Amino acid sequence: MQPEKFYYDNKIVRNFGIATVVWGIIGMLVGLIIAMQLYKPEMNMGNQYTTFGRIRPLHTNAVIFAFVGNAIFMGIYYSLQRLLKARMFSDVLSKIHFWGWQLIIVSAVITLPLGITTSHEYAELEWPIDILITLIWVVFGINMFGTIFKRRERHLYVAIWFYIATFVTIAVLHIVNSVELPVSLTKSYMVYAGVQDALVQWWYGHNAVAFFLTTPYLGMMYYFLPKMANRPIYSYKLSILHFWALIFIYIWAGPHHLLYTTLPGWAQSLGVAFSIMLIAPSWGGMINGLLTLRGAWDKVRDDVVLKFMVVGLTAYGMATFEGPMLSLKQINAFAHFSDWIIAHVHVGALGWNGFLTFAILYWLIPRIYQTELFSKKLASFHFWIGTLGILFYVVPMYWAGFTQGLMLKEFTPEGILKYPNFLETTLRIIPMHVMRSIGGTMYLVGVIAMAYNLARTMMQGSLVANEAAQAMPLEPFKKSDTELAWHRRLERKPIKFMIISLLVILVGTFVELMPTLTISSNIPTIASVKPYTPLELQGRDLYIREGCSNCHSQTVRPFRSETERYGEYSKAGEFVYDHPFLWGSKRTGPDLAREGSKYPDAWHYNHLMDPRSMSPGSIMPDYDWLITQKLDTSLTVAKINAMRTLGVPYAPGYEKVANRDLDKQAKGIADNLAKDHIKVSSDKEIVAIIAYLQRLGMDIKANKTPEK
Amino acid sequence: MRYLKGILLLGLVFAFNPAKAADDSLLPADVMNYIGYGLIVFTLILFVVVLLVVLRAFNVLTKVVLKSQGYTEEQIAAEMKPSKKEKKDNSQVWNKLLSLRPLSEEKDLLMEHEYDGIQELDNPTPSWFMFLFYSTIVFAVCYLLIYHVFGIGQLQYDEYKTEVAQADIAKKEYLSKQANRVDETTVKLTKDPAVLASGQAIFKQNCVVCHGQHAEGKVGPNLTDDFWLHGNKINDLFKTIKYGVLTKGMLSWEKTLSPKQISDVANYVKSLHGTNPPNPKEPQGIKMLDVDSTKAVTKALKKA
Repeated sequence: MQPEKFYYDNKIVRNFGIATVVWGIIGMLVGLIIAMQLYKPEMNMGNQYTTFGRIRPLHTNAVIFAFVGNAIFMGIYYSLQRLLKARMFSDVLSKIHFWGWQLIIVSAVITLPLGITTSHEYAELEWPIDILITLIWVVFGINMFGTIFKRRERHLYVAIWFYIATFVTIAVLHIVNSVELPVSLTKSYMVYAGVQDALVQWWYGHNAVAFFLTTPYLGMMYYFLPKMANRPIYSYKLSILHFWALIFIYIWAGPHHLLYTTLPGWAQSLGVAFSIMLIAPSWGGMINGLLTLRGAWDKVRDDVVLKFMVVGLTAYGMATFEGPMLSLKQINAFAHFSDWIIAHVHVGALGWNGFLTFAILYWLIPRIYQTELFSKKLASFHFWIGTLGILFYVVPMYWAGFTQGLMLKEFTPEGILKYPNFLETTLRIIPMHVMRSIGGTMYLVGVIAMAYNLARTMMQGSLVANEAAQAMPLEPFKKSDTELAWHRRLERKPIKFMIISLLVILVGTFVELMPTLTISSNIPTIASVKPYTPLELQGRDLYIREGCSNCHSQTVRPFRSETERYGEYSKAGEFVYDHPFLWGSKRTGPDLAREGSKYPDAWHYNHLMDPRSMSPGSIMPDYDWLITQKLDTSLTVAKINAMRTLGVPYAPGYEKVANRDLDKQAKGIADNLAKDHIKVSSDKEIVAIIAYLQRLGMDIKANKTPEK
Repeated sequence: MRYLKGILLLGLVFAFNPAKAADDSLLPADVMNYIGYGLIVFTLILFVVVLLVVLRAFNVLTKVVLKSQGYTEEQIAAEMKPSKKEKKDNSQVWNKLLSLRPLSEEKDLLMEHEYDGIQELDNPTPSWFMFLFYSTIVFAVCYLLIYHVFGIGQLQYDEYKTEVAQADIAKKEYLSKQANRVDETTVKLTKDPAVLASGQAIFKQNCVVCHGQHAEGKVGPNLTDDFWLHGNKINDLFKTIKYGVLTKGMLSWEKTLSPKQISDVANYVKSLHGTNPPNPKEPQGIKMLDVDSTKAVTKALKKA
């Protein structure tokens, strides 16, 4: 038999590589801006499009889906072709995939600052973009499986197992978490409400980390590390064990994001138990990587690419140990909602994803351009400033997390909170936030140096767009060749492999989601909880638009420090009309679940106009445009109808009088403000948001008043 | 070393006990922040320095050890650059612990397949790794049993009840030893300068945002004139501060200030009556005689 000649498509790899660098710089720059907003409110730049609440999602989306996303596709398109000894299935699909993905990112860059968001973390994009993502993901899947089908290698290497698991699981996650009911082209409501919505969101959020930031990178590690170090993979058995254990266990761990919330206790405990069991499977990847370097450690000393890999793997090991620890209740009780979590995710993002991406770029670009790296010294500079940058970033954030976490829980002997004013704890950690932005700047400088270095490398070489290769065609499988090992057999059956991976991830998904989504006794109802009035509903949508939940949580956990500070702890039945839930995941400011009637309307008016007038030193941005912008009531009817479809009990025909009720309630608030010499017409946005804020937590408070 | 420890401890004290300094209010918050900046920079630099020192120490130590074993300078230099020659495999213990086979046996472990030049070894999964994996599984099972089968562990709502009950006992015990337990019925008017000074500090920190620097009134009413919305007796003031009057915009301070602090600030407000600050807000409420002071005056008159 004659070896076949074919060509690897390097151009698509190069394109994804350039996109990785460009979006990486943009994403990190936005990150730096929002980091500075946390100690300098002026950095919000005085307009609504660049406030923290709106561009924090831009930062996370840009870094996760644009920077890491493009890097994944770069790594997969490079390694997949070589591991399968075949060109990508279709150049057209590759192109559609590339440009489609960039289109998704650009639409995120446009819609998020405009306040078009679902408020689901890491899934903020609205429904038309969700559909686009689904389509592009299918294109990617067809292209990948098409390549697998025309492969010239019988068995699938471990890297490809991870790619397959990534593909199926992300598809499942994205679809389930994006079930929305559109109200208009730019607005939709989540189908699930309250606790259920929270559970779905964090099942998604946690596994987006698992299957977007972890499994594809492990796959890339399994290809690029042995290539870079020229060493065999340490243990094939370990690969099998940790791959299956990882994808099976990871999917269960989502509820550890919801400890001490109103999620049923059994679901919380499952989340904790599976998080602990996740340590070893996660570490399997690190161990297999580091032990692959056995006998090549002298190379690490000289080769900056391997240095990046080693620090990346170590960061991965640290983050995946820290995660399970954070899921323990006792630690979670004060680490959750604090800067500790920000430190934790950045060890993973900057160390693991960032450094692995840089290593791959430094290794791959010179190869496809048939040249040497422009400057090894500059790459070395990048490594050191990047490492120091991570250190300067995470140490202050850990410090800030401990400080604020402890301050918020401290009581005086008289039994009152030592720091009853939340702001006091915020101001105490400002130096840490300043330091963190310095660390971030260092890291970004490194990336810019890399961009320059790679650009010069590209300029001095020339792209081998189609790299010639040859391999023997795959002979038909003979029955006589049957292998004994079951996994070996599985490795030559891609569809079976995909189906089994799918089943493995669905086990945890069903056990965790189904009871809470279907059994009503898991969410005890409360009679006094009523649907939002039309004005409150509009105010809630403004709250979502402004991204308030990026800094303010809406769930009081059952701790004495929280019930003293905020009021009675939250009950599952309070959230049944919350499409979507707005519990948030970080308390940069205080919780708002019991905000209703805590302050007078005038206080909220002044506070939104200029937070520092009511809370000196506050780091919240001004929201003065709420005073000048008119509330858009044209969608009220559609919104009420949509909510009714989702099960919110508005009386039949209520949508017709909804706007009349809205006007009436707005007048009342405007009149109330007028008493305090604040002149505002009742059709402004600020009236709606005050109505919503004054409603928060009132359903339960109303029950309580007779006691006093 | 002792100094280093001391500095680190100091850092820890600042980090974990941020309350201390503010409590004594010897230092204003922004000064504290600058100290914070300094400490963080210092710690980070220290961290880097320590790493460098350790690295250097290892190098020097290697030299010394090698010299004591009779190596010549050239041999040492050769040893220090191990990239030239593979080192002797003197890490048997380490290898055993990680269940690693010596590199020399690697050839036997190579599996027959390769992918784009990548080979795989048929190493077993390290035994310590399996131990770790199994023990986490045991932990997880025990965890679920403890919380959901045997009911030994408290789930969050029971945990909360316990926490609050314990805190209540501790609070009662503490307050029974304290004399400062005052409420709206027992609060006394006083002109004690210490009380007024404490009241002034509380006022500046919490009240000026709404009532103005000199209590002349801003969002909240003027507190220096003869007009009052919720009564002008010391007991009324105490009550207004403690529970708030939300419909009029007054917040409740019960959870923020201790009874003693409420009493102090109420007395301070009383002391401001008739101070005629600049830019007063227009009168709100009804005109009231200063009963407390009048009483004091009549008392004084009677005595005379």
